[in-house]
Amino acid sequence: MSPGAKQIFNADEIRRALVRIAHEIAERNEGVRDVVLIGIRRRGVPLAERIATALADFEGQQVPVGHLDITLYRDDLSRRSTTPRLQKTTIHTDITGRVVVLVDDVLYTGRTIRAALDALADLGRPGRIQLAVLVDRGHRELPIRADFVGKNVPTARDEQVEVRLHEVDNEPDTVLIVRQDM
Amino acid sequence: MRYLIKHGSIIDPAQRVATIGDILIENGKVVQVFDLAEMAPENEALGENIEVINALGCVVAPGFTDLHTHLREPGEEHKEQIATGTLAAARGGFTTICAMPNTNPPHDRAAVIRQVRQIARREGHVRVDIIGAITIGRQGQTLTEMAELVEAGCIAFSDDGSPVQDPTVMRNALTYASMLGVPIMSHCEETRLNAGWAMHEGVVSTRLGLPGYPAAAEETQIARDIALAELTGAHLHICHVSTAGGVALIRHAKQRGVRVTAEVTPHHLTLTDRWVLGSLAAFDPEIPPPEPVRTTGNRRGRKKAESVQHGLGIRSWLDPRILPPYDTSTRVSPPLRGEEDLEALIEGLRDGTIDAIATDHAPHARVDKECEYGLAACGISGLETALGLVLTLVHRGEMDLVHIAAKLTEGPAQVLGRAPATLHPGARADVVVFDPDHPWTVDTAHFASRGKNSPLQGQQLKGQVMLTMSGGVIVFRRGDFGKDIRTIRHASRLDGILSGE
Amino acid sequence: MQLQTSATQNAESNQERRRHVFDLDDFSRAEIEEVLDTTESMKEILSREIKQVPTLRGKTIVNMFFEESTRTRISFELAARSLSAGVINFSGRGTSVEKGESLVDTVRTLQSLGADVLVIRHSQSGTPYLVAQHFQGSVINAGDGCHAHPTQALLDLFTIREKLGHIDQLKVVIIGDILHSRVARSNLWGLTKMGARVTLCAPPTLFGAARFWQAAWPTINISYNLDEALDGADVIMALRLQKERQQAGLLPSLREYSRFFALTDERLDYARDHALVMHPGPMNEGVEIMPEVALSSHSVISDQVANGVAVRMALLYLFTT
Repeated sequence: MSPGAKQIFNADEIRRALVRIAHEIAERNEGVRDVVLIGIRRRGVPLAERIATALADFEGQQVPVGHLDITLYRDDLSRRSTTPRLQKTTIHTDITGRVVVLVDDVLYTGRTIRAALDALADLGRPGRIQLAVLVDRGHRELPIRADFVGKNVPTARDEQVEVRLHEVDNEPDTVLIVRQDM
Repeated sequence: MRYLIKHGSIIDPAQRVATIGDILIENGKVVQVFDLAEMAPENEALGENIEVINALGCVVAPGFTDLHTHLREPGEEHKEQIATGTLAAARGGFTTICAMPNTNPPHDRAAVIRQVRQIARREGHVRVDIIGAITIGRQGQTLTEMAELVEAGCIAFSDDGSPVQDPTVMRNALTYASMLGVPIMSHCEETRLNAGWAMHEGVVSTRLGLPGYPAAAEETQIARDIALAELTGAHLHICHVSTAGGVALIRHAKQRGVRVTAEVTPHHLTLTDRWVLGSLAAFDPEIPPPEPVRTTGNRRGRKKAESVQHGLGIRSWLDPRILPPYDTSTRVSPPLRGEEDLEALIEGLRDGTIDAIATDHAPHARVDKECEYGLAACGISGLETALGLVLTLVHRGEMDLVHIAAKLTEGPAQVLGRAPATLHPGARADVVVFDPDHPWTVDTAHFASRGKNSPLQGQQLKGQVMLTMSGGVIVFRRGDFGKDIRTIRHASRLDGILSGE
Repeated sequence: MQLQTSATQNAESNQERRRHVFDLDDFSRAEIEEVLDTTESMKEILSREIKQVPTLRGKTIVNMFFEESTRTRISFELAARSLSAGVINFSGRGTSVEKGESLVDTVRTLQSLGADVLVIRHSQSGTPYLVAQHFQGSVINAGDGCHAHPTQALLDLFTIREKLGHIDQLKVVIIGDILHSRVARSNLWGLTKMGARVTLCAPPTLFGAARFWQAAWPTINISYNLDEALDGADVIMALRLQKERQQAGLLPSLREYSRFFALTDERLDYARDHALVMHPGPMNEGVEIMPEVALSSHSVISDQVANGVAVRMALLYLFTT
């Protein structure tokens, strides 16, 4: 951990938070019959997979998991000096009429979720859309809120929340707050 | 007005002389040449009404003659006028230029010749000689009234740019001109072999998908015209030879005693078809990364010219990569050729196969070049970069300075059957003073010529004209050149360059 | 920074953003691979019921086609619309170009009118470079003279990779009017950069001079015998033979050309069992390719057309956003 970085979640805490979120999803939707988990690339994807595994454990039912790349729906493409690498959207389930639970690592301005909602609208007509995030750090710029939150973390704008997941980052699971000027 | 040009390195190709000394000019003529041992003493009374010009470190040579200039007047004054073209000539060190006949109307009637001569006398900065058209309207069919045109002042004939395709017409032109003692200047191009061409046919045209102008299209017609010159005994002059095969044909013809002379342009001596690639040449593994300027690199093991090496700070020597790809400034007829052609042209210049360097100055307006490559007008505005370009051959050790000067002075004079230009006492004071080491960056915006079409825009050249005198009158002077007489030291930077012979 | 994930995404993307697509000669292998990967994502969008994403909303793309080409123009138009860009089609006919307005003037006008991307098809080689000098947005070459057709080459590469899994080490035979083919030139860059072994096959008059091709692309093979050239081929590309070539004297007759250089069922036997047959279109069936070959199971000609839209979407996304 670099100096100035503060750990807010260790691997165990992440695991417990995801299990709790899984229970809340099942409770809120009276089971998981209609639920489809859709992870937002990149770190929402392993989080959705982990929630699905937890649900399978205690509900005994495999919930479908989709991967959503929202790059093409971003509102800041022309203001960036490089073009983000595009990844595939893979959703093998028809989402129309289903309960779609979007999964992402950090909820911040809300712009990613706005893009994801637009993308979902192009892919079908879900009966309901819910949002699960590992960390809500505040500073919303859009009227968006999460239904399931691992942890609310008050942050300053010049701080960065860094999520590390072993599937994506090849390092132990952790969540850090880092001051940007460090 | 009298002038004393002091401390210059005097090159007199006609006399094969290269010395450091002073030249006294009076009443439009060279009066006296003092060599190093007997320079005009500083304190000697030179009398009133004399300007002393400090030419230390510079070459003083007879003014250059250009056998091949397009002045565009009458008819295309938006591209060039006699006034602007002759000023460009003066800035390039030329004191005599030969105007090609492809004007509108063309030089095919005595009245046109007289009109052009009159404008040239009134507005010209240097001497203008006129080349008449071979055929009426340059249509390749009916011979012009050549005898009357010579009477009106024509010094040669050419249908430049619209080469005579009918061999019988060419035969008759050569035969008839032999009566008049003037050369037929032939732009050799078999137009059935290069229909729709955009550039030299080779690896680059293949890569760029541009229709090619094969070397053979030039060579077949050089061969035809040499055979006709042999048949008729007339004087054939080959314009802007650009191919290795063309040089070989001329060399063999000269060995057989055929009356053939030839010219080559500065751009064909120094630029290749790779210039059409422009920045794409950066992806061409065959082009090495830019080298710092060196003058000792000497492929043929000739004598080294080490002394011209000093802090130039030049990024590279003539780098095509600063041009965009397909830059229309590189489109010229004949086209920029391959590396082997360039080598053969230098060899031809060195061994005397090629008699003269001629600019083929072809100014165009912006609209003629600001278009698709294959539709762009052919030509390079060349008078003001000619010396800088050919001096790259000297700096690279390919040729010596006296030899290059001869190809700009004595060579063209001989093609025209004239007494070689000289700085001998009594000669007309057509003089050029140039600094062969002076580094400069080509900026076409500063051209006197209306034609800003040059692929050399932004290139670094070494060697620049400082002063040009036509008939004892200064027609061009760069800034305050030569006015600071007090700083004269007895030293020259030219030892290395002059040692080539 | 608006989005949480962008920092890591930045690190993986192309370092310096390309603005124009002129040809593949200045593309690296990694850059070509990025285009092909992105094309896959675009194909997914085209498989949706709503085949549109908002990526280029508010951008204006002008299709400047100075040469007829229904196929390429429509492909670009569909690509632009799928990314929600505004599309204006502009053809050389019946416009100010015919009234003598220079191309550069036209480009300056389009600049002033607010065009963001120019897609240009022109009969003169090199024209896209000229256009880019007078335009601040992006320029995409949709085919210039005999020079380049990079989007066609990329869709060919994509189709090969999609069908055979890789491009490296494949034997690719390109047959026909090589001399006048921008498709062949761009494919030579693309295929050789991706590691394919390329053989060009045509009568020598359709090369101009074969030695220049060999010098420009040193790794290629040149053949005048189609049966030999097809031996062991993984991919076969037949090029369109225009009838004017015969009129220009490059061929004794179309009949003779067809006898010795047309892709027939029997000749296909020399190629490998999985060999792909490709054609950039439009085909002259019975001249360079026999109808039974064009319709055979080897033929991926309709896949090429379909993939064209996704490739052009990928280019628009990568270089004009």
